[in-house]
Amino acid sequence: MLSLEIRKRLPGFSLDIEWSASDEVVALFGPSGAGKSLTLQCLAGLVRPDAGTIVVNGIEFFSSARQINLPPQARRLGYVFQGYALFPHLTVAENVGFGLKNRPRLERRRRIEEMLERLGLAGLEGRYPRQLSGGQQQRVAVGRALAVDPDLLLLDEPFSALDVPLRRQLREELGVLIREWGKVTVLVTHDLAEAYQIADRVVVYEAGRVVQAAPKAELLWQPASENVARLMGLRNLLRGTVLKATPELIQFQWRGHTLEAVNSPARAYLPSPGTAIAFFIRPEYVRLIKKDRPGPDPGHHMNLMDGHIVREVDQGTTWTLLFRLDAAGEPNQGEYDLEIELPKLVYEILEVHRERRWQISMHRGSIQVLPTT
Amino acid sequence: MDLFPMVLSLRVSALATLLAFLVGVPLAWLLARRRFRGRDVLEAAVVLPMILPPTVLGYYLLVVLGSQGPIGRALAVVGIDLVFTWKAAVIAACLGAIPLLIKAAQAGFESVDRTLEHAARTLGRSEWSIFWSVTAPLAWRSLLAGGILTYCRALGDFGITLMVAGSIPGKTQTIPLAIYDHVQANELSAANGLALLAVGFVLVLLLGVGRLARVRF
Repeated sequence: MLSLEIRKRLPGFSLDIEWSASDEVVALFGPSGAGKSLTLQCLAGLVRPDAGTIVVNGIEFFSSARQINLPPQARRLGYVFQGYALFPHLTVAENVGFGLKNRPRLERRRRIEEMLERLGLAGLEGRYPRQLSGGQQQRVAVGRALAVDPDLLLLDEPFSALDVPLRRQLREELGVLIREWGKVTVLVTHDLAEAYQIADRVVVYEAGRVVQAAPKAELLWQPASENVARLMGLRNLLRGTVLKATPELIQFQWRGHTLEAVNSPARAYLPSPGTAIAFFIRPEYVRLIKKDRPGPDPGHHMNLMDGHIVREVDQGTTWTLLFRLDAAGEPNQGEYDLEIELPKLVYEILEVHRERRWQISMHRGSIQVLPTT
Repeated sequence: MDLFPMVLSLRVSALATLLAFLVGVPLAWLLARRRFRGRDVLEAAVVLPMILPPTVLGYYLLVVLGSQGPIGRALAVVGIDLVFTWKAAVIAACLGAIPLLIKAAQAGFESVDRTLEHAARTLGRSEWSIFWSVTAPLAWRSLLAGGILTYCRALGDFGITLMVAGSIPGKTQTIPLAIYDHVQANELSAANGLALLAVGFVLVLLLGVGRLARVRF
């Protein structure tokens, strides 16, 4: 269990956040400078908040009201720093054993061996950090943090120092390791894919505030606001005007078309007619409809619109089509209105390279409507 | 040639350097790692010995250590007399040289990534343990460079030593004082010999350590 509510003012920046999590992996997600790392430092006791409380597993780490501030040494935590902060003058074994100083020698040695074995670092115990690859350094940092058997694991951008292909592989490994270890973990990242792969719950930060804290599935389909969707880097994030809203359906105007989107009764988001709303549709959920041949089930065709392809971008395994609607006024995203993503095979079957004019359809269930912010 | 000044100088400088480490390293650590009221005053104060005329420093030291001074009187009670002994020469040499040590050590400590100290904290180590296992080992080159410069500066002290230890041949007469005496007595070959010896020793020390430990001054 982890709950914190802290305020901290720094020159030119203020942090004012509150969130909690039960036994699980939490990702703090947001742009650089949003206060994620500062939160981690407050959790670790390296930075003292101005006010608030931090409670971990029932222990009060910090409480301004009760004048409690446990030093980092008393918090029983493992911290994997950005860039790892391995001790350059110590060997791999000495780094991993650094937190075990007070244990008997034999136990200490056994524990180091066990950690090295578990992390696939056996044989490297005599090396110095500068003699290791980025991935090995990361594992040493994780091993050093876990060797003391902490009750809380903090990871600050653990992949930012690695190359992309390696990042993907290590993300998987670390995810597995954290699950096996099974205690509360807080991961700081500005990479949404990383947050998704490793965490159960995502806390979205912006400019020192928490804009949403939710289980990851919920975040993906129901960002709390346009702002959160923007921070998540969602594509085709657009704005329309409400015509009618019921608990089941929202009808709105966009670029001269009337669109319908499924509303979720659970959220009970009922904006009044005339309100500006934001909505998004994933580029891979926009369908192209071949003119001379009706789709397999025309009943699935909804929100039909006509337009043409302005430009297309080769993404390797997919094509991204930049699509402009036949509608008066400026397109919504510069020279185009929508991004459409097609697998290469579909692109070839539909012979998109021959035909530039298309009718498109967007399923009601694929359009997510959000409050503007 | 009388080698007493040489032997005395080497011994006094070694002890002065040791004393400078004991006093200077904690001060350098405070300046590098702690924010406290009066830090700017302390930072200015530690370089004063480099700027003030040696006679002024020597005079104040005499006032403090002399039989009427606060420390002198306290030491007299336990039967220790400092002024005009080789012990006073140690304190004088230390005072003149300690800014070099403090500045070098402070720069060394500041160059150690604080994240490493944070990492040690999260791993349960005390501040004392962190200093000895992280900060000092990573700043050792700066500490060594500072120590050598301090030693060389201590070797060359003249003014402060003259004020508090005098220039008693065979007792408190270090190399610089002996050279001065020789020149006064027009014994130029003896002065030359001692001067060459001093310059040679310092050069060998600086170059030797610089090469061996790849220290830059």
